[in-house]
Amino acid sequence: MERVGIVAVAQTHHNQALSQTVRGLVYQVSKEALTQADLPLERLDTIVTCSSDYWQGMGCSNVFYYEAAASYLKDSPKTEGDSANAFAYACMRILSGIHRTALVVAVTKGSEAPSIATLTNLACDPFYLRPVGIEETAAAALQARLSLERYDGGQEMLAQVARRNLRNAIYNPYAHRRGDFSLAEIMGSPIVADPLRALHCAPSSDGACAILLADEETARQLHPDPVWVLGFGWAAEGYDLGERDFLATTALKQAAQEAYSRAGIQDPRQEIDVVELVAPYAHQEPLWYEGLGLCLPGEGWRFSHEGVVDIEGPLPVNPSGGVLANNPYMARGLMRVVEASLQLWGQAGPHQVKGSPKKALAHSTYGLAGQAHTVIVLAKE
Amino acid sequence: MPEERLDTIAETVALPYTWTTGPTLARFLEGLKEGKILATRCPQCRRVLVPARHFCPRCFVDTEEWLELSDRGRLRTYTIVNYKYAGQPKPPPYVIGVIDLEGADVGFVHYVGGIDLTDIDGAARKLEPGLPVKAVWQQERHGRISDINHFAPVS
Amino acid sequence: MPQPVAIVSVGQTKHGRRDDVSFPELVREAVQACLVDSGVGIEEIEAVVTGSMPAPEEGVEAPELWLSEAVGMGVRPRPLLRVATCGTTGMSVAQAAYYHVAAGLYDLVLAVGMEKMYQGDPQGVMTTINDPMIQRPFLGGALVFFGLQCQEYLVASSKPERAREAAAKISVRSHRAALANPYAHIKQDIETADVLNSRIVCYPLHLLDCCPVSDGACALLFASEKRAKQLASVPAWVKGVGYAGDEYWIADKHWVPWESARTASQKAYRMAGIRKPLQELDVAELYVPFSFMELMLYEDFGLCERGRAYELVEAGVTDKGGELPVVPSGGVLCTNPIGATGLIRVGEAALQVMGRAEGRQVPGAKTSLAHALGGTAQFNAVMILSQTL
Repeated sequence: MERVGIVAVAQTHHNQALSQTVRGLVYQVSKEALTQADLPLERLDTIVTCSSDYWQGMGCSNVFYYEAAASYLKDSPKTEGDSANAFAYACMRILSGIHRTALVVAVTKGSEAPSIATLTNLACDPFYLRPVGIEETAAAALQARLSLERYDGGQEMLAQVARRNLRNAIYNPYAHRRGDFSLAEIMGSPIVADPLRALHCAPSSDGACAILLADEETARQLHPDPVWVLGFGWAAEGYDLGERDFLATTALKQAAQEAYSRAGIQDPRQEIDVVELVAPYAHQEPLWYEGLGLCLPGEGWRFSHEGVVDIEGPLPVNPSGGVLANNPYMARGLMRVVEASLQLWGQAGPHQVKGSPKKALAHSTYGLAGQAHTVIVLAKE
Repeated sequence: MPEERLDTIAETVALPYTWTTGPTLARFLEGLKEGKILATRCPQCRRVLVPARHFCPRCFVDTEEWLELSDRGRLRTYTIVNYKYAGQPKPPPYVIGVIDLEGADVGFVHYVGGIDLTDIDGAARKLEPGLPVKAVWQQERHGRISDINHFAPVS
Repeated sequence: MPQPVAIVSVGQTKHGRRDDVSFPELVREAVQACLVDSGVGIEEIEAVVTGSMPAPEEGVEAPELWLSEAVGMGVRPRPLLRVATCGTTGMSVAQAAYYHVAAGLYDLVLAVGMEKMYQGDPQGVMTTINDPMIQRPFLGGALVFFGLQCQEYLVASSKPERAREAAAKISVRSHRAALANPYAHIKQDIETADVLNSRIVCYPLHLLDCCPVSDGACALLFASEKRAKQLASVPAWVKGVGYAGDEYWIADKHWVPWESARTASQKAYRMAGIRKPLQELDVAELYVPFSFMELMLYEDFGLCERGRAYELVEAGVTDKGGELPVVPSGGVLCTNPIGATGLIRVGEAALQVMGRAEGRQVPGAKTSLAHALGGTAQFNAVMILSQTL
């Protein structure tokens, strides 16, 4: 795959985002990314945005913020689902050679919208799964129970994953939720959908982020050391919950395989230096390690508490705190790419991992119990 | 018991939302409460934009110069709505107009009232382009776009 | 340079009120039709792009998840992307599928547009497109956005009465063309008097100036050069793509000229090397949900001088036997499952240059234009297709 370069990234603080409109947030991150790269408007060829109409309470949500994403009279489609897919699409626009620069922007204001449970219940068909109360958390809980039954480790391991992410977030000024919680506090937090407790589950945050991409030649003009997109892949499974094997992570494996094959990755555990993944429910993190090939099948739980994935460890996962700390729903996938880029540039500030990481993996997921996944491999020269 | 249909299921999905207006629009709405129509001017293209804007859509720069506009203007275009839909703010027929307010470089969308709509074609003939109109304000205002009830033709 | 990309097959549902199928079944009908048309099996598809109007239209969020099996994700997981850009959705789906192949990453990509309008209240849903703070109370759905636009066009016209008459003729021509389209929703032979006497729904729009509400789906198969040459004797090569959007605030602009329409068409023409569209295009599937808009598009697409679009209609230039037949399929005025509508324009334009448009065929069509519009009269999208690579 030819190279696409990331030359600027921008994101908002959850607290700051509370007082701005969706349109204002889109303007802020778009402006920031363009200013960072010193790219004049006329050299911005295309923009890909990502938002949800249901979340925004507005049909055709990009109509409202179109020119706030620097799109006046420009070619700017909106994707839904997962902003990591918007990123992949923007890369394809550049790889076609038709566009030299592309801005990717995603936004969600959880504070304006009904809950994640309400909106993901609405993502279920109206005849069967919706009336029986399936939504993202309930489906994740079913998966969590199966996970706890199959693997040793139990509630403590679940709590440890949450603890690690929320502690990492202490050093992430953009995060919504953070803290040094004890395992007892986590295991004692209110039950949301057994076995999942409040601190195992991602909050609903406000936020937007933007990434400026360019083809190889332009990227070198715009940045002394672009982050290169080596490969990406994404995949969705079928919808029927009864038919799916919750622990098999088939869509994730497919997405990872596509991304690794494009990026020339053969042993992700050895070749990747830092990982930003989306695990809105703590039990999913060890499950995703396996699907990503970061550890052997069945070893996810053990891997998660051996110190390997700690922020000081050899393969830090979610130094930002991940979505357990900050979950602006539609923007969360793109935010992983933002955070991974900052890590590679050494610009993540207080939550920077040591050891000059060279290759990063950004992952995202959406849909019931991870119906769809996206994997992106990034690297510095 | 009436027979239940099996080929369809009907439901109304009503969802609660609380939207942030943001500092710029909040100030514009404050202006409406005070009986004023506020605008901002772009430092680059110099266009006066209403409702007051946070940034200029074409120049992509912050617009921080505030001004108060007249509540008079001329009708640029309009339509006469004569159909029903779910969640409609008022029963048809009614007129939606685009008004070029004095001093603004962009149009302002609002209802046009004070026209007899029993004969739609006849009403359309009265709504000539360039028709001078003025805002009719609510007595009690709350900082909403409805603080202006409608624009009415002035002689 | 983009890799060459072609459309090799087209599948459509019978559009109309489809109470006989669920949303996934409707989608599958179009997908099956497309696959059967191409001889490709569902397992060979490498990636899928889908799109529809606001998810609230059908009352299901992230509908691509529920519909995933209808596009083959149950067979094996593959890339699935949902694109949603209001009225231009169908064309945005086509353009996204195009980019998958043009980027050199995929050889076979399925583009699927769908809508089950009768599941929701379309104007009610479209009203929510407008921000709740300022524009929502005034701008209802499409009828209001486009009603305002059409009125502005009429006022700007040098001869509003002739423009009004020409718009009625456009409706008549479209309705008659749909009689030859087995997939079309509305099949009604009308006269101009019928248009002018039909009820005013949103002045200046009379009922017969307006598109219907339709259920329907469309699926197109996009292929790389190697696969296209294997799968179709005459593929429809994508020669140009363009897209542009105006500002959100509806009155920030005038609609005459309509900048986003001009920009989108110019981008597509430039990429396709078209300088004299009226001469070089053989057929145009314009997206015309309200009759007057076809007149606007003639002007904004450089087919005639500003203010004189009615002359093209009066001279029969855009009739079936004219120099540039417009919407031989009957178009949006007769069939409008919105998420599919833009894709149907591409599909019909493709069938024309492939020589497979049956009763709608414009003889000898080599180069076609497909178009879509949407948003609050805000977005325009254009794709140019050709028989030759």
